[in-house]
Amino acid sequence: MNLIKPKKQPSPDATVFSGSAPLPEPLITGKQTFASITERISAIVEGKPPKGWMIAFSFSVSILLMLLGTIGYLADEGIGIWGLNNPVGWGWAIVNFVFWVGIGHAGTLISAVLHLFRQKWRTSINRFAEAMTLFAVICALVFPTIHVGRIWMLHYVFPIPNQMEMWPNFRSPLLWDVFAVSIYFAVSILFWFTGLIPDLATLRDRAKTRARKFIFGALALGWRGSNRHWQHYELAYLVLAGLATPLVLSVHSVVSTDFATSILPGWHTTIFPPYFVAGAIFSGFAMVMTLGIIAREVFGLKDFITLKHLDKMSKIMLVTGSMVGYSYATEFFIAWYGGNGYEMFAFINRAFGPYAWAYWTMISCNVIIPQLFWFKKIRSNVKILFVLSILVNVGMWFERFVIVVSSLSRDFLPSAWAYYSPTIFDIMTFIGTFGLFFTFFLLFLRFLPMVSMTEVKGVLPAADPHYKAPEEVKEND
Amino acid sequence: MKQDLKPMAGKSYWRSLDQKADDPEFRKFVESEFPEGTFDLARGISRKKFLSLMGASMALAGLAGCRRPVEKIIPYAIAPEEIVPGVPRYFATTMPFGLNAFGLLVESHEGRPTKIEGNKEHPSSLGASNAFVQAEILNLYDPDRSKFVRHNGEQSSWPEFVVNWKNEREKYLKSKGEGLAVLSVEFASPTLARLRSEFLSAFPKAKWVTHAPVSDEMIYDGLKLAAGKYAHPVPALEKARVILTLDADFMKTGSNDIVNSRGFADSRRVKSENDTMSRLYAVESGFSLTGAMADHRLPLQSRLMSKFTAALALELRSRGVEIPGLKALTKKSTEGFDQKWLSALATDLITHRGYGLILAGPGQPPELHALVFALNDALGNIGRTIRYYEIEDAVLSSVPDLQDLVERMNSGAVSTLLLLGGNPVYDAPADLDFSRALQNVPNSIQVANHPDETSTRVNWHIPKAHFLEQWGDARALDGTASVIQPLIAPLFGAKSDVEVLSAFLSGEDRPGYDLVRETWSHILKQKDFDKRWQTVLHDGLLPDSAARVIQLKISANSLQKALSSLVIAEKEETELIFSPSPAVFDGRYANNGWLQENPHPITKLTWDNAAVIGTATARRMQVQNHDVIQVKTESASLQLPVWIVPGIAENTICIDLGYGRKFPGRIGGGLGRNAYALRTTASLGFATGVKISKTGRKYRLVSTQDHHGLDVEKLASDEIEKRLPVLIREATLEEYHEEPEFAKEMVEHPPLKSLWEDRKYDEGYQWGMTIDLNVCNGCNACTIACQSENNIPIVGKKEVGHGREMHWIRIDRYFSGEEENPEMVFQPIACAQCENAPCEQVCPVAATNHDAEGLNTMAYNRCIGTRYCANNCPYKVRRFNFFNFTKELPEIVQMAMNPDVTVRFRGVMEKCTFCVQRIHRSKLDAKNSHRQLRDGDIQTACEQTCPTDAIVFGDINDVNSRVSQIKKQDRDYALLGELNIKPRTTYQAKLRNPNPELT
Repeated sequence: MNLIKPKKQPSPDATVFSGSAPLPEPLITGKQTFASITERISAIVEGKPPKGWMIAFSFSVSILLMLLGTIGYLADEGIGIWGLNNPVGWGWAIVNFVFWVGIGHAGTLISAVLHLFRQKWRTSINRFAEAMTLFAVICALVFPTIHVGRIWMLHYVFPIPNQMEMWPNFRSPLLWDVFAVSIYFAVSILFWFTGLIPDLATLRDRAKTRARKFIFGALALGWRGSNRHWQHYELAYLVLAGLATPLVLSVHSVVSTDFATSILPGWHTTIFPPYFVAGAIFSGFAMVMTLGIIAREVFGLKDFITLKHLDKMSKIMLVTGSMVGYSYATEFFIAWYGGNGYEMFAFINRAFGPYAWAYWTMISCNVIIPQLFWFKKIRSNVKILFVLSILVNVGMWFERFVIVVSSLSRDFLPSAWAYYSPTIFDIMTFIGTFGLFFTFFLLFLRFLPMVSMTEVKGVLPAADPHYKAPEEVKEND
Repeated sequence: MKQDLKPMAGKSYWRSLDQKADDPEFRKFVESEFPEGTFDLARGISRKKFLSLMGASMALAGLAGCRRPVEKIIPYAIAPEEIVPGVPRYFATTMPFGLNAFGLLVESHEGRPTKIEGNKEHPSSLGASNAFVQAEILNLYDPDRSKFVRHNGEQSSWPEFVVNWKNEREKYLKSKGEGLAVLSVEFASPTLARLRSEFLSAFPKAKWVTHAPVSDEMIYDGLKLAAGKYAHPVPALEKARVILTLDADFMKTGSNDIVNSRGFADSRRVKSENDTMSRLYAVESGFSLTGAMADHRLPLQSRLMSKFTAALALELRSRGVEIPGLKALTKKSTEGFDQKWLSALATDLITHRGYGLILAGPGQPPELHALVFALNDALGNIGRTIRYYEIEDAVLSSVPDLQDLVERMNSGAVSTLLLLGGNPVYDAPADLDFSRALQNVPNSIQVANHPDETSTRVNWHIPKAHFLEQWGDARALDGTASVIQPLIAPLFGAKSDVEVLSAFLSGEDRPGYDLVRETWSHILKQKDFDKRWQTVLHDGLLPDSAARVIQLKISANSLQKALSSLVIAEKEETELIFSPSPAVFDGRYANNGWLQENPHPITKLTWDNAAVIGTATARRMQVQNHDVIQVKTESASLQLPVWIVPGIAENTICIDLGYGRKFPGRIGGGLGRNAYALRTTASLGFATGVKISKTGRKYRLVSTQDHHGLDVEKLASDEIEKRLPVLIREATLEEYHEEPEFAKEMVEHPPLKSLWEDRKYDEGYQWGMTIDLNVCNGCNACTIACQSENNIPIVGKKEVGHGREMHWIRIDRYFSGEEENPEMVFQPIACAQCENAPCEQVCPVAATNHDAEGLNTMAYNRCIGTRYCANNCPYKVRRFNFFNFTKELPEIVQMAMNPDVTVRFRGVMEKCTFCVQRIHRSKLDAKNSHRQLRDGDIQTACEQTCPTDAIVFGDINDVNSRVSQIKKQDRDYALLGELNIKPRTTYQAKLRNPNPELT
């Protein structure tokens, strides 16, 4: 369908319609035609990288190197280089794991769930949101891998047939994690790649060098854009969306069982699965917004990632942020209502104990700040949105920190209580994963179309079979 | 920070003082101090290493450093006949300890001793032991032990010494020993005593002086004052109903701690509500384990102890107790004590005539001991609750003799001095300046374990053999004789003091074996000597060799004379208490990592000593934990950090001896501060007129409880107060009589049901344990025994500061009651082997599982170290190897390892296994002899060593086993049982027996 060319260009000042129903605001602005979209998006991949990209990339790679160095030192010395102690067996590593997995939620949600619900505004952001998901999950996977005491024995967690007939412990939520996250990663990458195929074909067709021709040719899997191809493709995409949708809910639910199935006061709560999912979507959208705002500024994609997109994302963050806030309140209520002294103390301790600073950072960023999204003025102010989206992720990191650390530091026997503080290596590892993330992300921006050309074309008014140019409409009236 | 502490009403609990005050300054300190502390690393990275690491990690080969060290084994070329590889053998031997000796059974694997246990037959160990005995195995394999004979600092040899001395000796033989002197430590040994008397008869003009830095010298002197005779006092606490201690810590630092702890525990063992128990009154300046176990404790400065005792004596006299020699005391001079307390105590002592006991500590002057003897005598306690044994083959420490010797040395009258053990340059009273005196001795010879402070100042240094590598003999306090038989040849060619003394005496090098046999040929008589000798070696003691119990007659005159010089302190003064350290004793264990890392039972400090003061003193001085203060006596001053413990008498500073060693030990060199620098001949127990001032500096002390000063806020202390009565269930004896089931009724919880049918665990052996909180006195012996049995690494001060100590069994210590005089409780915590273990379910690789006998087992090979099990353990008893803690272990220390237990690698979780290796060995033994295991066949290391028999292990599936019987008692409760984890270890609630008149 993207091969059909409009008869006329819409006039610059005309309102663009999607379908026949008038929309208050267009999804794609500017005088975009199918050709201009192809040109604009492909140019980013085909031209020389802007200077800003080069600087950002070198910076990210150096941070990635720091991560690798830190991991090497960790493997050489042991987990003791981190700040963990006896009651606090999990610290920043697990916090970061949950944080990155949470961020990895938005991509699939945007691609799959919104696809199923036919939310057309998703088309501008789904590609890079999915890429973000993949890279975030890769960052997340770093932590469970390196946080174990004996990295060289990590293969024990996989159900590999062996002569001892020794299987992993299927009762352990950590094992569920292994499956949940790896399945999520596998399906996400398939989904992402499937969505890329028509765009890869476009790039192949535009390729001028042999290498590009070969690489994109191989990746495009022989896509010719025939009707039959489109039929299979759309069906496959729909099926994958259907497969991915339950995963959006399952991954973070399973991650939350790492805590919920334990007996530790503060972890042992049934509200965790929905609460974690809401939090994940919340943080994922915040990350998409952060990256989207950067992309639209740096690569000049204001026509594709419009204020309307930001507005919609803000609303989703408002909803999920409020859900998270509600969960915090419920946790407290149940801790009191349940009558379990240990649990009661765990929550009072969170709010007023030695980690109160972390708790109130979390409350401010996750509960209070999203309430600003009620205001349209804020929803349409890109600068403020940028700051808020970052604050939301700060808050979400602290949420995981509060859950993981404050519960562990004071549990049942007061003699075992201890305070946890990170070491420089905890911090370097966390910052290092941002290097990993941005290295991948910048490479993605450079070599693959960051906006789905195919799908954006699909939401242009011109793609609608009933489309008539505005002047035609006028004439008919 | 301690200013806003208020006394609390009723019984409430708190962990330490820090949690009781919420002070912004302190919190700021905590915040500023600890994050900083946690940022430092064990080893910094050099640029080169960094680059190599980067390279490694880039090549994704960063795991190259994780391989285990390669170990080579060498087989026996010809196997010895009696040794079955892998099957340990046990030998009886004896550990001399001052005037006492502990009979031991030592486990030996292929010729190397690995574990020390008490010998049930021996009267001083009763099958149990203490932390020092347990840690001796590490002392044997101490890589810093002296390795060769030194002559003026140069390496020499034993034959060289003998030849050299042989020439010198001729000279002294002619002069009858003029200018010859021996300074020995205290001992009770038939062979040493024989050699000593032979020496004195060969060299009649020679001097023999005995000095021990920590001794009961003043107790013996007091006895001499009152009864005109020296004798070994041996209390029989199991017979006592009312006990009063005056600065006497008979449970931990006393010379007969095992027997006394057992006796006291026996006097308080309660099986049902029909039983009764003894009552302990403790008057003390510091806070000791004895004070912690007391039913009534009175914090009182040590210098006021005489006054208190005098007041008690007058009180007793006023009630018709006839005490001779009290004329010297006036009522007026003894005023100022709580009359109610005093009168209740007096009444109790009088009503329990013959079943009471008063004990005074070794730091108190002889006059006080004389008075205490008179009181015990007047109350009819002597011969019943305390016996006096004739002293045989022993030499007693004497400070006046030492003073005399130093004078002679200074005047040049001593030309050859033999230092038989001991380290006088370090530990002799500071005013004697032994180091300077030693310079005037042209020929000095030292026998010592380590190249120590004295070694650099002597002409000859001879390495001293460890008791596990020498032939010798010893007598227990009651006179029971036993032989020290070696389990291993001297590791560094060291010589025993018997051999050195013999060579000194005769100029001939004779083996210790011959010397000891020669002595014993007299003891055992000639008939059947070899057979009887074998029996003694096998049994570890000579039965019925206890000395005669002597009846001491009090002499009213000398008592009155003594009492007239009893110092009744008047004005207010700050005092300084010197006490032997529960970790390093007098300094001899300074290089022992197990003991250094062993938390002080009261302060929970490790790797350091401190100026321990009470809350009132701290408040007055406005100092906090970690603040460095200057302590100034008349002659010297010392700067050391403060540690505040509630309940220490006001204006009293307690400093543990034995720290601040200056010797090249890799563990103990330079740790803590040397309190001997302040200790003079006049202030052996305590110094008065001490001035203290702040220095404004801080020094980071590290404790294993209240790790990070975390419990400061009110929020936490309120919660702990609420929680602890349920964790450590306690009642008075009276309450218990009324409500025998009180411990079980303390927690309300929903019915503990499962959604599915739980595994029954009702077949075969089912292991379980009980710990009686009523008799546990928190002495730490179990912690060290466990460390020795299970190859538990030490982690060092820094890692303890990070909360990474590895002890599998720890002793939690809590306070309750008023801050000025709180009660203290102890609770040993190890893995409880929960039937419904939270740790097992969460391990992703199934490395921790339940076995058919109810053990929560660990497969170290399978563990990948996710630490989830530790997170989910409600007792927090799982320990993680954050680093490869055994990586830099010297080869010789590896010999102390138990070959039946895996040495864990880094990244692995470990925990108590109920000594599964012992269970399996006993099961195999039983199977090989075609029988079922009997109750008591298996003893876990902690149970085996517990001096109070607080820990009992056994088969809970056998209704007749001790453990099943105890679990049926009404005081039995499951700690955190409300979590439905079904722990196999249960506790028996603590009881106290306060005097109804005082409650």
